Amino acid sequence: MAATAASDPLAELLPRIAAGDRAALRQLYQATSSKLFGVCLRILSNRDESEDVLQEVYLTIWRRADRFEASRASVMTWISTIARNRAIDRLRARGPLAYADQIDELEIADDAPRAEALLEAAQSGEALGKCLSELDERTEKVIRTAFFEGLTYEALAHRMEAPLGTVKSWIRRGLLKLKGCLER
Amino acid sequence: MSEPPIPPLGDELHEDEALAAEHALGVLTAPQRAQAELRMAREPAFAAHVEAWAARLAPMLEALPAVTPSEGVWPRIERALPANDNGSAAARMWRGLAMGSMTLAAASVAAVVVLINRPPTIIAPQAPPSAGQLLNARLDTSGGQHLFVAAYDPVRQKLIVTSLVTPGTDPVHVHELWLIPADGKPHSLGLIAPGTSKSMPMPQGLDKLAQEGASIAVSVEKPDAPKHDRPIGPVAAIGKLVKI
Repeated sequence: MAATAASDPLAELLPRIAAGDRAALRQLYQATSSKLFGVCLRILSNRDESEDVLQEVYLTIWRRADRFEASRASVMTWISTIARNRAIDRLRARGPLAYADQIDELEIADDAPRAEALLEAAQSGEALGKCLSELDERTEKVIRTAFFEGLTYEALAHRMEAPLGTVKSWIRRGLLKLKGCLER
Repeated sequence: MSEPPIPPLGDELHEDEALAAEHALGVLTAPQRAQAELRMAREPAFAAHVEAWAARLAPMLEALPAVTPSEGVWPRIERALPANDNGSAAARMWRGLAMGSMTLAAASVAAVVVLINRPPTIIAPQAPPSAGQLLNARLDTSGGQHLFVAAYDPVRQKLIVTSLVTPGTDPVHVHELWLIPADGKPHSLGLIAPGTSKSMPMPQGLDKLAQEGASIAVSVEKPDAPKHDRPIGPVAAIGKLVKI
């Protein structure tokens, strides 16, 4: 997961970007834009909006590169979290109505990429994918849905047709199990 | 919660960590997100929890298939890069004071609170200034989200500031405005209450410092803090004055 500076080939770019080196930002863009675009597209399901968000993401990286700490996360972890959060912001800003439509579409289209992601995760021996698959199916689904759609507990409860307290308890227990599994 | 006391090894997450995990996952309501955001600005331990959870969850993103964006995106980014924005020592120092690193991410949501509840505030002076005179600043968090917007009219020497923070999210702290000119020395401009707008005359002597490129920042302070000539609490948001 969190790679050290020595094993993270992108880590040397961040101090250069923080110092205003545009060539370094361009290098980072070339190395990572397709991964980050994949993140935006997964969340927004719309190319134009995803490209707008992608642009915002690299401008955010440009302004905030000095906040990156190689000891705490890999560059990829850091920037993909920025991309996810900006895309979720955009999704929430569409407003409740557009948001509700989005949900139905996504649910139908959801299975293939999810299976693919799991497979990829398994192949790369990736711990989180393995730990998520150890949760019961309902808990895994509710955590993934929350993560990729930025749904609040209330919205999740509505979606799962379950009481708020129950959904909250699924998630909290699921997160605890995940943490335990990742620390094994 | 009405659970029995937490045993030594814990069969549930401690309340702070659970909240941090929920913030990183994105299940909190808009006001709760804003509150978590402000806590991250002033509690490094809480911010570290949120960052750790963001890092635990990030492999879900890294596992997604890559998709190549259109060729036009990079030129758009390059055009939008502010000239020499990252160079100045003063800018670096001030950003250094601003909150968390990856937090940004988990966190970038605070401002959305307001944005989804009402249309973005348009700042306009009571009388239009001469064209091209007005300076504008959007104050953002380390996640790049706007928490405050400011406009300065150099002709009338008036500053108008609007807080996009949801009222009541952090009743035990106050938000202090600062003007930071090119020399990096901060000047307090007083307090701004969450969710309000205020129009104020620029204090004497500061009007000539409020130029394009100067920064406006907001720090989170205790209401009973002793008089200070620079922020004591964390800088939650910062932005530069630019010509509209």
